[in-house]
Amino acid sequence: MDDKTIMAIIADVMKEMGVGAPAPAAGRAIPASTGPGHLRITETGPAEKGTSPREVVIALAPAFGGARTATIIDLPHDQVLRELCAGIEEEGLSYRFIRVFRTADVGFIAHDAAKLSGSGVGIGLQSRGTTVIHQRDLAPLSNLELFSQAPLIDLATYRAIGKNAAKYAKGESPEPVPVRNDQMARPTYQAIAALLHIKETQLCDPAKKTQTLRVEFV
Amino acid sequence: MDQEQLIRQVMAEVLAKLDAGASSPAPAAGGRVTKEQYPLGEKSPHLIASATGKHLEDFTLDRVTSGALTAEDFRIAPQTLELQAQVAESTGRDSFARNLRRAAELTAVPDDRLLGVYNALRPYRSTKAELYAIADELSTKYGCTINAAFIKEAADVYEKRGRLRAE
Amino acid sequence: MRSKRFEVLDDRPVNKDGYVTEWPEVGFIAMEGPNDPKPSLKIAGGKVVEMDGKTRDQFDMIDTFIADYGIRLEGAEAVNAMDSVELARTMVDFNIPRSEVVRLTTSMTPAKITEVVSQMNVLEMMVAVAKMRPRLLPANQAHVTNVRDNPVLLAADAAEAALRGFAEEETTVGIVRYAPFNALSILVGAEIGRPGILTQCAVEEATELNLGMRGFTTYAETVSVYGTEPVFMDGDDTPWSKAFLASCYASRGLKMRFTSGTGSEVQMGYAEGKSMLYLEARCIYITKAAGSQGIQNGSVSCVGVPAAVPSGIRAILAENLIAMSLDLECASSNDQTFTHSDLRRTARSLMQFVPGTDFICSGYSSVPNYDNMFAGSNWDADDYDDWLIIQRDLKLDGGLVPVLEDEVIAVRNKAAKVLQAMFRGMGLTEVTDAEVEAATYAHGSNDMPARNVVEDLKAADNLLKRGLTGVDVVKSLVAGGYSDVAQNVLNMLKQRVVGDYLQTSAILTRDFGVLSAVNVPNDYRGPKTGYQISAERWNQLKTIRQAVSPESI
Repeated sequence: MDDKTIMAIIADVMKEMGVGAPAPAAGRAIPASTGPGHLRITETGPAEKGTSPREVVIALAPAFGGARTATIIDLPHDQVLRELCAGIEEEGLSYRFIRVFRTADVGFIAHDAAKLSGSGVGIGLQSRGTTVIHQRDLAPLSNLELFSQAPLIDLATYRAIGKNAAKYAKGESPEPVPVRNDQMARPTYQAIAALLHIKETQLCDPAKKTQTLRVEFV
Repeated sequence: MDQEQLIRQVMAEVLAKLDAGASSPAPAAGGRVTKEQYPLGEKSPHLIASATGKHLEDFTLDRVTSGALTAEDFRIAPQTLELQAQVAESTGRDSFARNLRRAAELTAVPDDRLLGVYNALRPYRSTKAELYAIADELSTKYGCTINAAFIKEAADVYEKRGRLRAE
Repeated sequence: MRSKRFEVLDDRPVNKDGYVTEWPEVGFIAMEGPNDPKPSLKIAGGKVVEMDGKTRDQFDMIDTFIADYGIRLEGAEAVNAMDSVELARTMVDFNIPRSEVVRLTTSMTPAKITEVVSQMNVLEMMVAVAKMRPRLLPANQAHVTNVRDNPVLLAADAAEAALRGFAEEETTVGIVRYAPFNALSILVGAEIGRPGILTQCAVEEATELNLGMRGFTTYAETVSVYGTEPVFMDGDDTPWSKAFLASCYASRGLKMRFTSGTGSEVQMGYAEGKSMLYLEARCIYITKAAGSQGIQNGSVSCVGVPAAVPSGIRAILAENLIAMSLDLECASSNDQTFTHSDLRRTARSLMQFVPGTDFICSGYSSVPNYDNMFAGSNWDADDYDDWLIIQRDLKLDGGLVPVLEDEVIAVRNKAAKVLQAMFRGMGLTEVTDAEVEAATYAHGSNDMPARNVVEDLKAADNLLKRGLTGVDVVKSLVAGGYSDVAQNVLNMLKQRVVGDYLQTSAILTRDFGVLSAVNVPNDYRGPKTGYQISAERWNQLKTIRQAVSPESI
């Protein structure tokens, strides 16, 4: 992602939050904000614990595919979900979507997914792209695999994450998805990531039960 | 743990208690230590014994390889933590000293149980009754009265702030 | 048409960093926030009944904890009624001894101390830091990690870091289940480089405690606290659980400190509209109240957040100063990468480098940044000579010493060989001679052959299930023919029986002697007082391999 896109995201978030857009650096044009994603997400009632040992539950944070439609590096949310699902399907397993409202913390979201998953394995996703693979018998802030640096997660990585989650669900011990490491992600993205997270937490509702989702790719 | 280990451990604990009673502090005036006796390991080694009653000169490589020293022997004694609490107080660090006194009580609690109590104290893990029961257990089984009061206080605050596990 | 000068400026590294304008309503402001509470304190019947504008019935969990355990109440109302500018001058004035200042600062409320330090510019804060640091001499801490969690490389890097002068070493994992291997690798590696180095493994709280209890680590640091209640809950703890955890460590004779930093509450989305520094002050008071001897702070992993707003780097120095003023050991961050600009990262570090703190970096990446699993440090292995030459330029002791290539190769080789023997002795996975050779000469993990990760993880799980401890490490080292290393590890295990290193700001000498704020307190009172670099130390610091001697020409 280039500087222009970053500025665009800041401006976008600031505008949605009702504050003045930051003064853009001289000479930088701000392109139009990300368009709506190709996703239709419908809540279909409180999420229940699954019984199939061959499922992986994918839990979305409050803004994913709704108030936000792309990750911090502008990967459209529909493509992110498509890759996760394809990875799970490649291993012959099924998936189920839920949305967590009580928190925007990806560790807890993933743990909630794992607890509701028939296989005991779940994936948590924040709208900025941060992802965790979790297992129900682990402590909430522990995990099977953590992808904390959202700016470094590309679509191929999301597919590999789906695939590995399915392998854990089958009781295998897969080689973990290679963790990318770029120390320059923080200086560029951390403050923007914080803005995105504030947006997400403002959509949390501690009183609202986790919902089952119908996700359609349109 | 097999029978022999258990007996050894109990013996060691009894000996440690006797030991602590027998050699107990002949430190500074008034029976308390201060920063003047610190570092205790250098200036007052005679005051230090492990929870199992081993003295500092007992910690040799030979004793480790022969099996005379086990992991249990590397546990700090409650008396030592009390002495370190006194050192802390002599430098005006009262809050740190309180922590060391809670710790002195917790030396009696096995590792697994300690981890279990810690996890139970985390948010939304326990009901108020469960935390009170843990407090009573620590108090009656291990003599942890300070910790018991602390855990009950936590339970009361959690209740007020809605941080207990919903039943 | 564009100005060519602006085009050049736009391409500078500093313009790759993210900056955000202040947004006080959600707490996106470093310090002096318009919504920060006005300081107040009322005590009745020996209890705090009002603090920072809230009465007791309005207290959240954090307020309650701080009010009941975190403030020295004798004379506190009078201290809080004093003029904040006067109090700031007292902190800066080196004629007034540290002990007198501590009596004042430990009676302040979080909002009061925030207001007091906000009266200072960074130069004044640096003078105050020179006085308020608890331990007489400064020290430094290293990060030892690699992107593949390669244990052989970890051991070699730990040995080199110890030789270079770091007093503490911290590792963490790419893959959580590698934790026991990483902890063991740096434990033995460090003792080979220089006896008496403290080591830790930053992982989830309960796991970290478990590794400590087993004797695989010798201290802990990643015990995180937060300044608002919702973020504390997302951190999966409460002030009471964290205080209990602190006591758990001490009950096993293990040194520990807490961790917090400006920006974490904003980063986690619940800053309640308060400035980053005020919320950090609350974290430091929680730390004090819980009875921790110290804290790692200075924004730490959230540094990109304060660094993006005005006065953010000043706020980081201010939070270090608050920690020391509450008489806590301060590991002052200077760790995680926050900028593309070498100028900016140097300026940020001088704030702690010049006055000296208990641990200037926490830590300095002893590996190239591509291998730093704390997402990069402000300083890395490729900067070693820069750090050493800045020390030499300014005649400052930043904790590192010049070393020779042959010495480094020798300790790295020994550490890799010892790890090989230890893994064999403990029935873990195989370490090949090729790996030993590669680790000896490596720059980073790109120079290492691949390992069988699945086998390593199985062995690491199994190691925990078998209940192995530090005693087994000592035995395996003796069996492998390394009694000298075994003796050092044994001496580290012995520390937990004595407990001297539990005290504030404790580090160990190569002879396992304790240096802490108790036996070597900071007594800085202006020129020619406090820590003075000895002739011997200066000779060591200034002797760099690059210098040309006049006689040689």
